[in-house]
Amino acid sequence: MSITPLRPRTGPNNPEGPPVRLVSAGAPGSIGGLDDNALFRTVVLPYIDDAYRLARWLTSNGADAEDVVQDASLRAFRAIRSYPGGNPRAWLLSIVRNTAYSWMRKNRPATIVSVDDLEAVELERAAYDETRDDTPEASLITKVDAEQLRAAIVKLPAPFRETLVLRDIEGLDYREIAEATEVPIGTVMSRLARARRRLLETLRQND
Amino acid sequence: MSRPKSDDSSVLLVHAYLDGELDPANALSVAQQMGEEPALAAEAERVKELQKLIHDRLPREEAPPGLRARIESSIGATRPRATPSWLQSWRALAASVVLAAAVASGATWLVVDAQRPPTQVAELLVSDHIRALMAPEPVDVVSSDRHTVKPWFNGRISNSPRVVDLAKDDFPLIGGRVDVIGRTPVSTLVYRRAKHLISLTAVPEDGAFAPGGAPRSIGGYNVVRWTENGVSYWAISDLEAKELEMFAQLFRSSQNEL
Repeated sequence: MSITPLRPRTGPNNPEGPPVRLVSAGAPGSIGGLDDNALFRTVVLPYIDDAYRLARWLTSNGADAEDVVQDASLRAFRAIRSYPGGNPRAWLLSIVRNTAYSWMRKNRPATIVSVDDLEAVELERAAYDETRDDTPEASLITKVDAEQLRAAIVKLPAPFRETLVLRDIEGLDYREIAEATEVPIGTVMSRLARARRRLLETLRQND
Repeated sequence: MSRPKSDDSSVLLVHAYLDGELDPANALSVAQQMGEEPALAAEAERVKELQKLIHDRLPREEAPPGLRARIESSIGATRPRATPSWLQSWRALAASVVLAAAVASGATWLVVDAQRPPTQVAELLVSDHIRALMAPEPVDVVSSDRHTVKPWFNGRISNSPRVVDLAKDDFPLIGGRVDVIGRTPVSTLVYRRAKHLISLTAVPEDGAFAPGGAPRSIGGYNVVRWTENGVSYWAISDLEAKELEMFAQLFRSSQNEL
């Protein structure tokens, strides 16, 4: 079976579909024509909590996350006119993600692993992953508490972690994640599957 | 029993299936495969359990107080760059092409969308509501007359919605538009309360949504959801929750129907 039969995308940078305007009727109302500040308040400000959460997962630190969200908001404001429509949260989160990595490269260079290293980690890990037998008693993990769960997610290598966080915590769809993390959908799919398996494995070891 | 490799495409498809990312034909074939191969069924169970765990146990942190205010004051002094005009016209073109595809595909996609979790549907509808607020007009057909609005939907979507007149309760009808959930066009009525707009979207519930409750509010917008006659109604507005509930009550009990 091939891995292409995903839902067809509905628009460039716009996985949720464009605003559908079948008929343009009537004169412009008082609601339209928002200025940049108003646009920012509508597209960015409602999602600051989401932005902060993602930044925390990526930087593992509350104070760093605040800095990242401030930088990202400024970038979002400068680019507000090129907001492509679609899911505003996904748009903001992709800016937060990119800002987090450039911020960490600059301020926390020791924690950044290069992409090549990451791919190596994935391959090595994949080989290990496959030698294990099936352990069906998944119900064991129901005893895991919030702190164990958080620690297990933080332990994931960055590419796995960001994919899992964007999907299972922030609820983005595959195309939005592919755009935010700048990888093909196939890569999103394999990272997600690996991330979930590794997480389950870590959680079972906690028991 | 050894389990399939994590990059085995059947495994990836099980994950995609659970994430509601497959079209109906592939969803069906994955469901069949899971029925035949216990290893895949077990994979699905584990993933579902993990997702439930994340959903139930992980606290949803909020940004520290003051961060929002600092951001607002920091943008006060910055000017945004203009978008080049070629980009805007390209976008408009792309949108019209996609619209044709969405309308042509119609009901076929209901099955896929029916599997979306309510949280995701709520997110999409809040996005549609925000987009409508930013557009020159929040509606595609402007009319306070339900006899104009209801027929407008005929031919655009398969089920034209229930439209009621609530003007005497101070919720005048503004008009209607077609929103899209995934690739399913759905009808949205827009009502007004003082300066607040309410988007009311009717989603046919064939096959039901994935189980789970919908959030009461997303990003400052209140969400009220109810179901009648196999149709799920979603009211989205920045109106106070209590008033939005009242709107829902009035809409449900109104006999003022076309």
